Amino acid sequence: MRAQFRSRLRLVLAFVFFVAICILVRLYFIQIVHGQEYSQKADRQFASGGSGLFDRGAIYFTRKDGTLISAATLATGFLVAINPQILADPEAAYTALQTVVPDSISRDAFLAAAAKKGQVYIEVVHRLSDADGQMLTAKNIRGVQVLRERWRQYPGGSLASQSIGIVSYGSGDTLGGRTGLERFYEGTLERSGDSLYKNFFAELFSNVGNLLVAAKDAREGDIVTTIEPEVQTRLQDDVAKVHKKYSSKESGGIIMDPATGAIIAIANYPSYDANDLQSVDPNVLGNPLVEHVHEFGSIMKPLTMTAGLDAGVITPTTTYNDTGCITVNTARICNWDLKARGVIPMKQIIVQSLNVGAAWVATELGQEKFRAYFTKLFGVKTGIDLPNEGGALLSNLMKPQQIGYDTAAYGQGIAVTPIQMIRALGAIANGGMMVQPHLASSVRLNSGITRTLAWGETTPVFSSAAARDTTTMMTAVVDEKLQNGKAMIPTMSVAAKTGTAQLTDGRGGYATDRFLHSFTGFFPSYNPRFIILLYTNDPQGVTYASDTLSSSFLDLVHFLIDYYAVPPDRGLPLETATTTPI
Amino acid sequence: MHKTHALFPFSLLTICYGVVGVLVVAYIGLIAVVMSSAVLTVEFSQSIKNDVAAVALLEGQYLANVAHITRANVAALGYTKPLIKTFVRAESVTALR
Repeated sequence: MRAQFRSRLRLVLAFVFFVAICILVRLYFIQIVHGQEYSQKADRQFASGGSGLFDRGAIYFTRKDGTLISAATLATGFLVAINPQILADPEAAYTALQTVVPDSISRDAFLAAAAKKGQVYIEVVHRLSDADGQMLTAKNIRGVQVLRERWRQYPGGSLASQSIGIVSYGSGDTLGGRTGLERFYEGTLERSGDSLYKNFFAELFSNVGNLLVAAKDAREGDIVTTIEPEVQTRLQDDVAKVHKKYSSKESGGIIMDPATGAIIAIANYPSYDANDLQSVDPNVLGNPLVEHVHEFGSIMKPLTMTAGLDAGVITPTTTYNDTGCITVNTARICNWDLKARGVIPMKQIIVQSLNVGAAWVATELGQEKFRAYFTKLFGVKTGIDLPNEGGALLSNLMKPQQIGYDTAAYGQGIAVTPIQMIRALGAIANGGMMVQPHLASSVRLNSGITRTLAWGETTPVFSSAAARDTTTMMTAVVDEKLQNGKAMIPTMSVAAKTGTAQLTDGRGGYATDRFLHSFTGFFPSYNPRFIILLYTNDPQGVTYASDTLSSSFLDLVHFLIDYYAVPPDRGLPLETATTTPI
Repeated sequence: MHKTHALFPFSLLTICYGVVGVLVVAYIGLIAVVMSSAVLTVEFSQSIKNDVAAVALLEGQYLANVAHITRANVAALGYTKPLIKTFVRAESVTALR
């Protein structure tokens, strides 16, 4: 009896074991071999569930005190979906929806969706607030689903929007970063691996490595930028004011720490509100400050001057005879006012912005050396952490005609991006060293570790003595020339230079009545904390940059001095106070 | 079997029953723990996301206020430029007390 019982028991155990093996094999085929097929089949029935809740890392601004403020984050709320097959009374459902969220969808659109009886899931309203979502859920309408939803939110709206970038659907059905930092740091910001269909059994067979080592935690995180929100707001406001006042085609500005390359503010106008992409012109989605090239005009002169000083072909006390106009390769080069200055020292080339003087320095420098300096300054991209960076157009410097070098000396005939321009000018502010401009300072990984990004690469271009001599000349521009000397700040040395470049006419020549205005400056002159570059393209009814951009530049200088409490670097005796008439 | 029975007070089969019983209970327990853990994880995750969204709302208000102050026309608000500006050296925090 006992033996018979045992044999029966063994039979039962063998049967159970056999069934277990069958189930295991069946599961293997369903989840591993045909997993994708079943997943797609399920997606076709329930469109919403297939994608799961949207998740993505954050991007932060950094206030001057180190506080992080979200530039891009996630908002949560609800979406409303209907199942036309079980929605018995569409009119009543629409009325109920209207009482909670009026005007969220038109009656016609709702009824048209409800009429699609062949479908089981149609999303009709998105981005409901928590309160509205819960109120609608409480109504418990048959055929109406209220589901949790998350979406990308930009608390600053248009604040640095062209640099922060956007998230959208590309060619496929996946949300991803398409422009700006959102795109550049896609690998860090994207969140993957939380598929609805993932389960332990499938992971055990297909992805055992990730179960043991959380590799994505070492990659996924949040991006911390160097953009200061209040400075960014100020710069955007100043750029927009200039743009609107002079009806320009495009205007922009960058504020950078010349010692580190950290970009504190970067603004362009026209811009867009990243939370409202429905009405955005696709042409403004990119970042002209890193993608577009311009002939910047006379703000190039300090670079020509520093190159001449560094090469030893001139000194600050060198003089030349300014004739007002010269002819080079049959082309005529003239000063902005066509007037001759006679024999004058180098400083006057910068202070009075003399084209003839800049061309003279370029000639003294010689083509080979001039090409070498400018190729070092603009020949390679800056490597800024933004996508689609443009490169400079320096073809005139590859030709033997001297006219190309003479015009390049005062910023015509060669075109560079604004980010390249501020990087090159930063070399004057930074003792002759070019730094790498960047927007992100660190990555806060999901693992809890904050990884500081290394941007320490510097390129020596000029000697510190040459950079200092040019700085002295640029400081004289503010102290003696800008607003007839009224712009001088007694307690702060500020180095600056204006630039007015003629725009090309599209027929191989230059328009005589259309200009690009630019303005650059840094302070304190001999130990600068900030370098500023402003430009406005094709302003109407005004010729010179000193008229369009001076007040914006000075507003930013005074704002930065106050906001960062930059200590005076001159005009303040050790123990006494200085009183300055305003 | 006979020898095993001599060594232990229970038969091997009884031990197997016991082990299977314990394993079944442990298996059910594990499923319960995993399910509860998954539910809690989802709830905590959503709770964090809700807090992040609430903070983002406040940050949005802060940035809007900064923009409002920046765009304010101080002259229109009745403020005038000071006649003179006096620059003094900053004292230490201790001296200010």
